[in-house]
Amino acid sequence: MAIKQTLEVINIMEADGIIGRYAIGGAVAAFNYIEPTVTEDLDVLVSFTELPDSPKSGLITLAPIFSYLKARGYSEHQKESLVIEGWPVQFLPVASDLDAEAIAQARDVEIGEGEGSVRTRILRAEHLVAMCLSVGRPKDLLRIAQFLEENVVDVPILCGLLRHHCLTEAWQAFCRRAGIADPCDIHRKP
Amino acid sequence: MKNYPDISDILARKEARRREIRRLTFGEKIAMVEKMRERLAPLKRMREEQRERTKSSRPSS
Repeated sequence: MAIKQTLEVINIMEADGIIGRYAIGGAVAAFNYIEPTVTEDLDVLVSFTELPDSPKSGLITLAPIFSYLKARGYSEHQKESLVIEGWPVQFLPVASDLDAEAIAQARDVEIGEGEGSVRTRILRAEHLVAMCLSVGRPKDLLRIAQFLEENVVDVPILCGLLRHHCLTEAWQAFCRRAGIADPCDIHRKP
Repeated sequence: MKNYPDISDILARKEARRREIRRLTFGEKIAMVEKMRERLAPLKRMREEQRERTKSSRPSS
């Protein structure tokens, strides 16, 4: 049931070349920065570009992941996720420049200590906020508010990211809706 | 005018606990989430069963 076993399986998939570089995203990644709440699944952002067999057409299929896991006894699906050691895992291929940058800059973390520990990567707070903004569901916007309230975001980095990925307008709309002063205003060059 | 009890000390303790939780390591937070998932599993099952019942009791069009 423990997430450590789930991550061990994903680490082996990366070592076996079934997936490229990966990083934890979504709610579980957010828990590294903010107060945790219950979540149903583990979102794993996956890159395929560095794999030798990566498709040139831009179309990505998750079939090799599913057949690899099925051969190892993981075939239970829950909605869009596949259950690995008790955790429903959703594999999300890199689908934008923001995703690609987020995965490239994901930070290494170790869960647990000593022999029972497992290494993994999690997305940075600023990328998580930008991704929440671009998805824009009510729960994503709430999560952004938590990141800001708990002061875990590097504001100049976030503002640069938002500009670079054309999310400034969405950000300003979020600030207006949330009734907060736009922190990027102070960091914006005149 | 009604006289309500002062619960500011309860709220302050809750906030202090939340601050403590925020300071936990990633691994400690994940362990906490896993415990929450276990505790909430019966409620999740109940919700799913209820959904199924509602679905099956709806007249088909």
